[in-house]
Amino acid sequence: MNNILGLINYDDASVKVQGLDNYRPIPSLSFLARYRLIDFAISNMTNSGIRHIQVYVKHKPRSVIEHLGSGRQYNINSKQGKLRILTGEEATQSEAYNHDITAFLQNMRFIEDAKQEYVMIMPSHMIYTVNLEEVYQQHLESKVDVTVLYKTVNNAHESFIGVDTLKLSDKKQVEEIEVNRGKYKNRHVSLAAYMMSKELFIHLIHLADNISSFYTLRDVLQEQAPLLNMVGYPVKGYVACINSLDEYYRVNMELTDYEIGKQLFNPDWPIHTRTSDSCPTQYTPDARVKKSVIANGCYIEGTIINSVLGRGVIVKQGAVIEDSIVLEGSVIGENVHVKRVVVDKSAQVSKVKELVAEENSVLYVKRQDRV
Amino acid sequence: MRKHNMIAMILAGGRGSRLFDLTNKVAKPAVYFGGKYRIIDFPLSNCANSNIQVIGVLTQYESVLLNSYVAQDQRWGLDAKDSGIYVLPPREKSEGFGLYRGTADAITQNIDFVDQYDPDYVLILSGDHIYKMDYDAMLEDHKKNKADLTVAVLEVPLKDASRFGIMNAHPDGQIYEFEEKPKNPKSNLASMGIYIFSWPQLKKALQDDVLIEDSEHDFGKNIIPTFLSEKKRLFAYRFKGYWKDVGTIDSLWEANMDLIYHRDEINLADPAWKIYTEDITVPPQYIGPEASIENAYINQGCEIEGRVVNSVLFTGVKVEAGAVVKDSVLMPFSHVKKGAVVQRVIVADEVCISEDVTVGSESGEIELISQNA
Repeated sequence: MNNILGLINYDDASVKVQGLDNYRPIPSLSFLARYRLIDFAISNMTNSGIRHIQVYVKHKPRSVIEHLGSGRQYNINSKQGKLRILTGEEATQSEAYNHDITAFLQNMRFIEDAKQEYVMIMPSHMIYTVNLEEVYQQHLESKVDVTVLYKTVNNAHESFIGVDTLKLSDKKQVEEIEVNRGKYKNRHVSLAAYMMSKELFIHLIHLADNISSFYTLRDVLQEQAPLLNMVGYPVKGYVACINSLDEYYRVNMELTDYEIGKQLFNPDWPIHTRTSDSCPTQYTPDARVKKSVIANGCYIEGTIINSVLGRGVIVKQGAVIEDSIVLEGSVIGENVHVKRVVVDKSAQVSKVKELVAEENSVLYVKRQDRV
Repeated sequence: MRKHNMIAMILAGGRGSRLFDLTNKVAKPAVYFGGKYRIIDFPLSNCANSNIQVIGVLTQYESVLLNSYVAQDQRWGLDAKDSGIYVLPPREKSEGFGLYRGTADAITQNIDFVDQYDPDYVLILSGDHIYKMDYDAMLEDHKKNKADLTVAVLEVPLKDASRFGIMNAHPDGQIYEFEEKPKNPKSNLASMGIYIFSWPQLKKALQDDVLIEDSEHDFGKNIIPTFLSEKKRLFAYRFKGYWKDVGTIDSLWEANMDLIYHRDEINLADPAWKIYTEDITVPPQYIGPEASIENAYINQGCEIEGRVVNSVLFTGVKVEAGAVVKDSVLMPFSHVKKGAVVQRVIVADEVCISEDVTVGSESGEIELISQNA
């Protein structure tokens, strides 16, 4: 696996987790109590034995840099391995030019200089586990140009909206790529994760740049699909795509069911993240907790039902948290009732005693807000 | 090498035989405490938080796990260029192989290690206690008093004083007498086994002590009395706060319960004085739809489907539906199956309690469950 360079690509421009993404880029979105989205892609790479990884960050790289550090927590050795955080370094004239191809071109020498002959490209917003060693074996054996990871789903009419779907032949050959507009239930959705030779990757970057200054890697692959020998690799187990606040909310809620959560958390395939050295969570005699996922360092005096709590959340007496996500360091005050709410980091809900979103909608409380 | 002002030496060689099976294969400092920690995380984190850069850990009894545990110095943030945790078990020397014969002898046999850093002061600690303490403040006191030795002391109730080493001191803190477990204590200042020595003085005392044939080479029995008889400047440093020796099953259970019942005394959530430990990769805690949790201290990686009351649950503990865990301490990756009842016990790591089995009792002694039941 030392022959593969891992690339964590920009998340697609259509990925918008409204509210939360004002404060941090998609890779460092808090997810399921103790993770950041990017933990899944990097853990997949390092668990598979990939030791050289480049992470491309478009905006606000601070939180990504702090979270990743040297990559030690993901088992990237500080001398034999390398975790490189790369940003588009030259200003682009407008946001339309600021896409992955621009970033790859600006950092081309780091791609060219890498001694690996293959690249594995993954975004941060797709949540699943996959052994890339098996993908690599299939890629080499089938002698194809591009292997693309996909998941066959039956909820494409609700989830994975805006994501590429693959039209596959019997031999899993990709015949066509089209965008999921939510018209059909059963689709093979692309996980925007590709394995190919570095040579082809570099060729595609230049090709995209020659065709249009607005072209992304996704665009050029979509266009070249019929000309390339591209096959699909089906991912088993749980797959989610965090591309909106609604999906962010739905997926967190879905994973409070341990039977579903177990599909992501296999002791043989650990999802690594940065420790915050928080102490265990304390429940007082008044605490009441049902079907929830809770991080360390919380202090819980109230009631929590069907919710996800990040690190160090304080839930005061008489408070009731239902069907909600509360991120790190927030406080839910005495006798406050929240339902279907996403509370961003370090916020305090104490003055408003009833914060309940309407059916089928989600309320968002801003970072460090006082309500 | 850059000169270090003060380095720490942690005495971690003891077995802790009153912890029975918990210390069969690991030394007492490596015993689990508080949902995610080991005892030695406390002195190590205190050192890190007190800005001490170099720590020697003196190990002897069953040291394989302890040695590999503390050698991972990045856990305590001590992996910068000039910092580190160094494991110092007994070694073979040109004059032969010698076990550490006493607490002082452990330092004597490592004078060469200490000298590498050329420190002005050496902090001597034991790896057996649960407390949070700023050793830097103690060093300031030591310097201000121009002391040769500063001993951290804790005020204990006078009726308990005969169980401790008692420091008799003048009002200004200067110690004039040391009595080991006195029948009629004159003061209630108990030694915590935490010493700051000015290194040149200690080095000389150790070199003298090693030549004395009937010496037990012990800080309390030999070095401190010698310092007193030589009229050196000994001062008591009063520590106020939580401090507990967790040397027995009862006291280990009690100290764990203190985290639930006495958060005001030993609060491990203080971001300004974190206790650092091993980072085990596990998911967050999953609380099931039928679970019930009251008054508990629960670490990540736990899966709770049953009832947990007044208990401390370590990393990765499973409590199945219909099981009841009450007034207990469940060490890492222990597993309580359906319908089992666990009461007033410490369950050792990776131990499984089978379906419908009851261990412990409502009001009896605290039991240690170290085998699958």
